[in-house]
Amino acid sequence: MLSQERIKLMTKMAAYEENEGKAYMSIGSYFRSDYMGMQVLRSVIGATFAYLIVCGLYVYYNLETLMQDIYKTDLMVLGKQVLLYYVIFVAAYALLTYIIYSFRYSRAKRSLKRYYRHLKQLAAMYDIEKNNH
Amino acid sequence: MSSLLEMKENLRNFYSRNEVYLLPIFKCVLAVVTLMILNMNLGYMTKINNSLLILVIGLMCSFLPTNLLVIIAAVFVVLHSYAVSIECAIVVGAAFLLLFLLYYRFSPKDTLVVVLLPLCFGLKIPFVIPIAVGLLCGPASSVSVVCGVIVYYVIHYIKTNASVIMSLEADSTVSKFRYVLDGLLDSKAMLVVLISFCITTIIVYVIRRLSVDHAWTIAMIVGAVVDVVILLVGDLRYDTGISVVSLVLGSLVSILIAKIIQFFVFNVDYTRTEFVQFEDDEYYYYVKAIPKNTVAKSQHTIKKITSVI
Repeated sequence: MLSQERIKLMTKMAAYEENEGKAYMSIGSYFRSDYMGMQVLRSVIGATFAYLIVCGLYVYYNLETLMQDIYKTDLMVLGKQVLLYYVIFVAAYALLTYIIYSFRYSRAKRSLKRYYRHLKQLAAMYDIEKNNH
Repeated sequence: MSSLLEMKENLRNFYSRNEVYLLPIFKCVLAVVTLMILNMNLGYMTKINNSLLILVIGLMCSFLPTNLLVIIAAVFVVLHSYAVSIECAIVVGAAFLLLFLLYYRFSPKDTLVVVLLPLCFGLKIPFVIPIAVGLLCGPASSVSVVCGVIVYYVIHYIKTNASVIMSLEADSTVSKFRYVLDGLLDSKAMLVVLISFCITTIIVYVIRRLSVDHAWTIAMIVGAVVDVVILLVGDLRYDTGISVVSLVLGSLVSILIAKIIQFFVFNVDYTRTEFVQFEDDEYYYYVKAIPKNTVAKSQHTIKKITSVI
């Protein structure tokens, strides 16, 4: 038999599954450590490419000076400096990613908790209906 | 007021009934308008300055994700820059790639702001975007606003300096590259607008989340005032050439648009605010409940009176 309360709940849940729930469910399917690790790794790759682009722009901008000073420059010191800046940049970006995505993960979990509570309510409604028949 | 509320309900019902058709139309119109404005402002590459091509892309965008429009628009800008000079295209392409790599990861949903902000700059009402973003989105969306400002100033720079860049000697590629990069990085106007819009977005967000009556209205007014003050101080300090009249008028129009957004998104009746207090096993709850302004849909009943003579 049709139950108005059950249909309301099911509609609400279907709307959730179609909209915000879609993203949250994919987040919720990961363990926290796996999810955070994946996001930080993606950020490290993105930041590496961004750093390479910035380095490329810097080299092209200062091409004449760099070509003139190439024999005078201590390449080891320069390499260390470039690496140091890279580590600082990637670490800062990874930290930002960690903060933002840990917040998003806990938000998704909270939201999914509500969704699972609705699922339980729905199961309970079915049980009640079954017992009544 | 009740007729406005009724109109809002009718609009909402109309949209929910026809969402399947309306959303692709909106997407198509947005894509066509964006690309046409780009071609009108830049238009250096004649091959892509073609209405038919824009229409085809617009139709494609109507069923593709909205984010793809941003990428297509970026490709258009890079191609027009390439027609100006290859160095210009390298700088613009690198700038867009950096934005994509560093920002797109965090706010993929707000990419529309990156398209809308340059459009609003064209309409002289860019101030509405930080206020609207602060009202509708979170503080992280200020990054999208920042990206939108950068994109606008990149386009503006190419538009105003294209003839100079083209007239520079073809063999001095490095000096051309330096000229373009210096021009973009030394733009004080961009810096001032960027800081002002970022602060405005965050301020509007913080105030509208406060538990005070009329928080949304206070947020939009304070946001607009802060925006104007920062832009004027920036103008005094760096001589950015901002017109005070257009700034004030634009801000007033922005507040008006923000009020319309509020009417559709957050229309509540503060006179019927209720404060309730209760507890459960874990918490005490101090709840402020503000009822939404709603109106019952008028029912038209047709009464048939038949009389037999």
